Amino acid sequence: MSELSAAAAAALGIPEAIVERSAAARATETGMTVDEVLEVWAGGGDIPTAAAPPIPEEVAEEPEAAEAAPDEGVPPSPPPAVLPPAGEETVPPSPAAPSGGETVSGKPPVLVGEADNPMAVLVGVVALFVAVFLVGLVGPALPAENPGARSSELPYSEAALRGQHVYQSVGCASCHTQMARPVVADVGLGAVTLNDSNQVLGSRRFGPDLSDVGSRVSASQIEGVITGLGEHPSLSLSPGDLDDLVAYLLESQTMEAAPEEPADEEGAAEEEPAES
Amino acid sequence: MAATQTADIRALLGAGADDDRVAAAHFLVGAVFLVLAGALELFALFSLRFAGLSPVSFGRAESMANVTVMIGFLVVTLSGGIYYVLPRLTGARLWRKELAILGLVGTSGLVVIDLLAVVLGLGDGRQPFGLPWWLHIPMLGLLTIPFAITMMTIRRREEKRSFVTLWFVIGGATWLPLLYLVYFAGDLPFVSSLGEAYTDLFFTAGFVTLWVFTVGSGLFYYTVVKELEIPLASRQLAAVGFWSLGFAAVWWGTAQLVFGPGPGWIAGVSAALGLAFPIGALANASSVSLTLQGHWEKLGEKPGVVSGVLGLYLGVVVAVLASFASFPSVGSVTALTAYWEAIEYGALFGVGALLAAGLTFEALPRVSGRDLSSLDRPRSFNRWTVIGVGGVMLCLLAAGLVSGYSWVAGSNSAAYVNAGEGWAEGAGAADVLLLIAFGFGIIAFIGQLAYAAAVIGTVTIGRAVPQEVLVYRTASAPEGDAADE
Repeated sequence: MSELSAAAAAALGIPEAIVERSAAARATETGMTVDEVLEVWAGGGDIPTAAAPPIPEEVAEEPEAAEAAPDEGVPPSPPPAVLPPAGEETVPPSPAAPSGGETVSGKPPVLVGEADNPMAVLVGVVALFVAVFLVGLVGPALPAENPGARSSELPYSEAALRGQHVYQSVGCASCHTQMARPVVADVGLGAVTLNDSNQVLGSRRFGPDLSDVGSRVSASQIEGVITGLGEHPSLSLSPGDLDDLVAYLLESQTMEAAPEEPADEEGAAEEEPAES
Repeated sequence: MAATQTADIRALLGAGADDDRVAAAHFLVGAVFLVLAGALELFALFSLRFAGLSPVSFGRAESMANVTVMIGFLVVTLSGGIYYVLPRLTGARLWRKELAILGLVGTSGLVVIDLLAVVLGLGDGRQPFGLPWWLHIPMLGLLTIPFAITMMTIRRREEKRSFVTLWFVIGGATWLPLLYLVYFAGDLPFVSSLGEAYTDLFFTAGFVTLWVFTVGSGLFYYTVVKELEIPLASRQLAAVGFWSLGFAAVWWGTAQLVFGPGPGWIAGVSAALGLAFPIGALANASSVSLTLQGHWEKLGEKPGVVSGVLGLYLGVVVAVLASFASFPSVGSVTALTAYWEAIEYGALFGVGALLAAGLTFEALPRVSGRDLSSLDRPRSFNRWTVIGVGGVMLCLLAAGLVSGYSWVAGSNSAAYVNAGEGWAEGAGAADVLLLIAFGFGIIAFIGQLAYAAAVIGTVTIGRAVPQEVLVYRTASAPEGDAADE
């Protein structure tokens, strides 16, 4: 069959793969075998179809479109072929041929367009993006003055900063925020978070807020939760990463009194090795 | 306005088949990634409800699902759609189709690497992808490819009149790398925690609005007009839809941090400008509905068009819900809750998948030379996607409202401190809804399997049919970098 299809492809002047697919389609339609179809095509013959394949709306074209084309010397092209056209005689007449605004097909053109400059659209979309970026992202993210009030930036130790990376890579922020807002829902969470916070703010709260977690629980409690006590997923962390993460959470204390008053003795005792 | 046929009709015999193989390859790969994304999202929902039983935390599972559906499915499939319509609307051959294939291979490989990086804990946990910073660089490069191909192909166009789809394609292809550049910039050391949070939300909201809604709607304009052979009802309405979506890009993202540490004015601005989102979605849905007026009965044999229409309508629902929650009064309950998870899920797995199917189911037979293997599979996809995604959305929305109200009521009544030991009791009601959401997630996954079966079945066992082959007017034009200016 490959020889036949190659011969048919050569005769029709179209790629062999398309010829094979088209032969299969034509064979199904006419009840012939694929080889028979290919033989006819290879000999330059045609096979009539039960119903001519529909010529889509592509056949129609207004003369303006042709005039706008820069390559007027090039002969007008045939419409998108519904292959195989089984020889040149079945190829519909050129769409650019009609004159006086006539169309080959009775169907109206549907992909209606207007002459414009797509580059102007490009300029517009870039300008719009820049505007939205400046107002919607840069503006609100700029640090604001907190004149003499207080700061949300916590003095994390080296171990805690390493723990913050662990906190991020594990994906804790997908379920926990570190952001207390001035709304009723957040009463008791800790000091309201300001825009100079160096905690991982997050945007979902499927679990408790952790901005001030160090004031509420001890190191052993934190470690127990991380390793799978209760309903919290067990995180497979190396001992070093676990210590760092515990340090980060223990040092997450936003209430002013919290640093001087650890939650309990045990928490204070275990905070030491975590920071060392 | 003078009506004209577009360059859909121009071609050089046979030359277009290779171009269309590029699109077909994108559709195929996208289908595989949709199934993978659906499985990962199902796993993420499981992790959310049964956190203690899951071997991988919800955060990592969610990141893996996000990168798979957003990059692996939506970027790949909609890029394939762009490569499908560009030659048909410009009359020019696709610029450097080998670059498009390189982009497909590179993107697919990078998604796999991304998944490994996240599951191995190498990522930085930043939503939505949680990738390590060094993976952002090749990703940015790969996302620039559709932009380069789009603009270079348009630059060499034969057709001087633009069908509306071209605007959406130009917009989406331009905005995507810009969005990712901004997301990447969030990793820079001088960016504050607040800036990083805003950047993550900016990217997620922008991806949904500027890529999924914009490109998906734009491509569907082409599909519905082409497949049903009816003219577009209103070019002006499409313009409203396009520019409104561009304007609405980020506001429902920043609105999620309402009452957070950002400036107070952003809440009001987000609420006001966020109204552009439902306006854009509604304009596109209305435009298509008007176009279909008097032709609805034709949709029985066009499951792809049905998919697209469903996608546009679901898009209106998603946009209205997002805009509604952007108001500070509503945000005081819905912010930080599963409500926003519902919006994102519905936008990606609902609107995105349906709009992608609206293109794929109709375009694939044209580019592959094979008819849809079965009309039942696309119909199953439509049915199970609407039921499954709709169910998940409803459950997550309800879970968000329940937990939001619980926090407020709990704090008001001093019944518990929501950050401490009373959390589980306060959020208990939402747990039931999360369990039901998982059940609906399984239904949605069945729909995703049907999508993949329809796409893969078409190119493997679909009945051979006459193939549409592009015929370019400029027979001698070099395929590469020569512009015709």
